[in-house]
Amino acid sequence: MTTALRARGVTVELGGRRVLDDVSFEVARGEFACLCGPNGGGKTTFLKAALGLLPLTAGEIEVLGVRPGTSGSAVGYLPQAKAFNPTFPARVVDVIVANRRGAWPLRVSAADREAARAALARVGGERLLDAVLRGLSGGELQRAYLARALVNEPALLLLDEPTAGVDARGRAEFLDLLAGVSAREDLAAVLVTHNAAAVRRLAQRVVYLDGRVKAWGPPAEVLDREWDRAAFSGHDHDAHPGPLCEDE
Amino acid sequence: MGEILDALLAPLAQGFVLRALGAGLALGAAGALLGVFIVQRGLGLLSDGLAHATFGGLALGLLLGATVDRAIWVALPFTVAIALGIQYVRRRTTLGGDVATGVFFAVSFAAGILFLGLRSARSTPVNVEGLLFGSLLAVSPESLAVILAVAALVVVVLSWIGPRLAYATFDPELAALSGVPVAALEYLLLALTALVVVVGVKTVGVVLVSAFVVIPAATASLLGRTLGGIALLAVVLSLAGTAFGLFASYHLNVATGATIILTLGATFFLALVLRRR
Repeated sequence: MTTALRARGVTVELGGRRVLDDVSFEVARGEFACLCGPNGGGKTTFLKAALGLLPLTAGEIEVLGVRPGTSGSAVGYLPQAKAFNPTFPARVVDVIVANRRGAWPLRVSAADREAARAALARVGGERLLDAVLRGLSGGELQRAYLARALVNEPALLLLDEPTAGVDARGRAEFLDLLAGVSAREDLAAVLVTHNAAAVRRLAQRVVYLDGRVKAWGPPAEVLDREWDRAAFSGHDHDAHPGPLCEDE
Repeated sequence: MGEILDALLAPLAQGFVLRALGAGLALGAAGALLGVFIVQRGLGLLSDGLAHATFGGLALGLLLGATVDRAIWVALPFTVAIALGIQYVRRRTTLGGDVATGVFFAVSFAAGILFLGLRSARSTPVNVEGLLFGSLLAVSPESLAVILAVAALVVVVLSWIGPRLAYATFDPELAALSGVPVAALEYLLLALTALVVVVGVKTVGVVLVSAFVVIPAATASLLGRTLGGIALLAVVLSLAGTAFGLFASYHLNVATGATIILTLGATFFLALVLRRR
């Protein structure tokens, strides 16, 4: 088994607070992992560290066998929708081509346009090619950004709560999309989510992160924990580490 | 028809008008291109703050014994340093760009007043009004050369970094992941803006120079659909507004800088009406 992502003893401190403490786990190539845990548990921080956007205080992360931030276009990243500047005059084709070129396209060549169209076709979004970004719904926006993440044929997808702020129908459609992409592509994925449906549908492995790794393994194994059953059945779980994921 | 055109363009026979037109067009083009990034980043007040910082730099130059024309060589590094300081505070603290600009603007302007007051009583009197409101028609050949050099530098550098700077403007995080040196490009953008503002102060003054940066880009942003289109439209509007304002002011015998800015302002309000809803 080759490894897509390996974390060993990862510790990250932000503003004097230890957000991640001795985090270790692995995601195999072609494997779909869900990263769950309470707000403030360090899920997004881990993802940003894996992208090379945050320095590690201790430990190491290997992404496709190299240091974070050095694997280039082999890693596709889908951030939360709120991360984007909504006033920027951007069309979907521009956003996808920017990831392909590493620069904003002031003019889109025929080859770039075709690559963007093909990426959108893989997520069923060809009609969005020339759409202005700020006119899209939350679900359409994330579909466009998934195409953006896929345009460079990545070996690893990192997805940070991609359905946050998307309505129930949009969430369901996006899960269908992720299921299709992960089935078709020989790629590994790490999905940060609070959505229990996403975990049940997609995860081959679940990592429960609350500063430290509280649980890590196949979904059936992790979801079967006593504290998790309490979370899903609505029992009092004050004595437990917290809900694994929340049904939405 | 030909006679009317000849009469309208008659001012071009005079060297000082040609210099004014050259300076205005160069400033307009460079300011509009920078303005596209400044406006998209929500830093519209920055150029205004830098213009006030320029006043401090010019005053320091005068205190050191330079003439008003030569004081620009002190104002240039002074204002660039202020721009880099504003960017440093923006990146290293949780304060917004408007707060950082406000602090540096006030301190620089106050320092400028202090520097002017410290000059000896025997120093040549300084026309403060000229600094505040500028005089496009009084651009010297030396000043024109500096303005053209700065404008050329801005165009060349933006041609080189523009697409990456645009990516960083859209989303700095994604741009950084694509290998764009986001922080360095942001410092460079502010330094270039400082250069244009300093040389612009000589033509339209401290109070109005930021209009060259903000208004054409803001107008084009109302009408354009892509960044390339907005940049092109901003430059065209700026050049047309500058030329129209200059000739109108000459024939109407009114203040040149103010007429240019009012022309640019009129295009903005027209765009507000015409923009797609």
